[in-house]
Amino acid sequence: MINVTQLSKHFKLYKQPSDRLKELLFRQTRHSRHCVLNNLSFTVADGEALAILGRNGAGKSTLLKILTGVLLPDSGSIELSGKLTGLLELGTGFDPNLTGLQNIRTNGLLVGMTPEEIEQRRETIIDFSELGRYIHEPIRTYSSGMVMRLAFSIAIHADPDIFLIDEALSVGDGHFQQKCMRKIRQFRAQGGSIVFVSHDLNAVKMLCDRAIVLDKGNVIANEEPEAAVNIYNQLLGADNEEPEPERQATGYGNRDVTIEAANLTGKDSAHNIVSSGEMASLSVTIQGQRSLSELTLGMMIRDRFGQDIFGTNSHHLGHQISIKNQQRKQLTFNLPMQLAPGKYTITLALHEGADHTRQCYHWWDNATSFEVAGIRGAQFGGICNLRPTLEEAPL
Amino acid sequence: MRIPFVIFTFTRQDLIERYSGSILGGLWSLLMPLVNILIFTVIFSKIMGAKLNLANLESSPYNYSLYLISAMLAWNCFAATVTRTTSLYHEKAGIITKVNIGLRALPLYIVLSESIIYAISFSFFLIFTIAIDHPPGWSLLALPVVFLLQQIIAYSLGLLFATLAVFIRDVRELTGIIFHLWFWFTPIVYVAEILPDGWGSLLAWNPALYFVNAYRQIILSNQLPDLQFLAIAALVALLLAKLALTVNRRLQSDIRDFI
Repeated sequence: MINVTQLSKHFKLYKQPSDRLKELLFRQTRHSRHCVLNNLSFTVADGEALAILGRNGAGKSTLLKILTGVLLPDSGSIELSGKLTGLLELGTGFDPNLTGLQNIRTNGLLVGMTPEEIEQRRETIIDFSELGRYIHEPIRTYSSGMVMRLAFSIAIHADPDIFLIDEALSVGDGHFQQKCMRKIRQFRAQGGSIVFVSHDLNAVKMLCDRAIVLDKGNVIANEEPEAAVNIYNQLLGADNEEPEPERQATGYGNRDVTIEAANLTGKDSAHNIVSSGEMASLSVTIQGQRSLSELTLGMMIRDRFGQDIFGTNSHHLGHQISIKNQQRKQLTFNLPMQLAPGKYTITLALHEGADHTRQCYHWWDNATSFEVAGIRGAQFGGICNLRPTLEEAPL
Repeated sequence: MRIPFVIFTFTRQDLIERYSGSILGGLWSLLMPLVNILIFTVIFSKIMGAKLNLANLESSPYNYSLYLISAMLAWNCFAATVTRTTSLYHEKAGIITKVNIGLRALPLYIVLSESIIYAISFSFFLIFTIAIDHPPGWSLLALPVVFLLQQIIAYSLGLLFATLAVFIRDVRELTGIIFHLWFWFTPIVYVAEILPDGWGSLLAWNPALYFVNAYRQIILSNQLPDLQFLAIAALVALLLAKLALTVNRRLQSDIRDFI
């Protein structure tokens, strides 16, 4: 359990470090204060996983460092129910010239194991890291993935009561990542608390029970993950409104009618990051450059490998579109987003008839993009949710 | 985290594992100081040997070696402890900023590691004294006391400098220079009597002089160091330690912010 009450932390900004000493000697202020954490309070129960979201500089890392004890708070208190290990310490104290085995000892001590515990768990750590005979080689010969695998294995076997994870789950290949995830879930099931800092919103939704959103050192939300992620996205969105350049409509076609803009938003998230199972709407603005009595708007969702995932058009949906010269219209596809988490792009096309082979007015590859993060309802694997039901009958 | 284990492991890394893969291994920790002593012995015993006439010491060609090594080993240990501790926070920043490790406990591994090097070098020296038929007497039992006081002072000075070095980078460079000057201002390779008139009274202000004399009293003359020296040294050591610990504790939040 973690209990944080009214935690505040300021950084004093000095022109140069020696000003701090002058300040002490001459008793005059020589710094400007920068508030990193402002009166923060939250709790994490046993077996609970809390995500911390926030933009860069929101105070996430400082908070983790205070929880670890590496930085000291100005005021406020922290109660921890037991041993705390941070995955931000991944590989701390690794000496590249020593073998993996020798490094297990130093690093193990630093993450809080006793020599006996290290002795007992050595084989398990080596097994989990899948380093095999490389464990007897100096660490400098390892690939970065191997180093991270060893570091994660040591940290997870330190058997803490509280685990701090800072963007550390990008360890090794997919197979190893899943192994880590399983281990973390198991840790939680046994009553361990987790504090998780990540920009991987899918991982946040999948792993955590609750999320707090930090902004300029304040908790602006303390909610279940999906709601918190949406608040976080709006925060990011507000940031980007100015600099985001107007997307230029590109592509090819005779441009008798053109696609001016397109974007996909979730009904609940109000953002282009949506949950799997959420209703999303794809709005497309088109403009006629001459009058057409009959035209078709088509869309195709592609995954990050460029593979077609799903596509349809107004013709198949039985919707007639006509447009006059210089007229603007907005068309909206309502899509129940039953796709697996991941990043997708949407390609749009305006053409005549059922497909674009007869007459193509405007074809725009990657007109917009969106991300699916987290799953509502039953978990699934693969690329889409077929929403199955299961029955059982005696025979 | 159990601090003693961490200190012990760092010490071991410092002494042995740093050299893992090399043929001589941990012996490299000892080689540099020994070569240093060898050079001084060979060069200076020719020049100084004849002039060395110490009370209670019968004339022998090895007198200068005894005179030099008895002080030099201790000085090397003292200087290395302080200078290495001074840059410790900078060197171990990767650990200090990631793991909750005590800022005042961490330097202990340097004190331990350098003390072990001293102990091993001193054992070689003992063998040498037996070989030349001038073994130290029972007064040797007082040596650990003098050495302990020396290392408490070394730890305190090192901690103080390390704290300052976080805020003023120059302290690290400065410490190196100070110790170089201090070495030559202390009668380690030379005899105080060769100094021109007037310098002798200046030398009396050098605290290292009293330690060097104490070591020589024990090893060369088989005398116990005088109690007044021990009492003052103990007082200084405790006051310095108190000062260094207080300053470090007072500034620890800032140190962690700045690193």
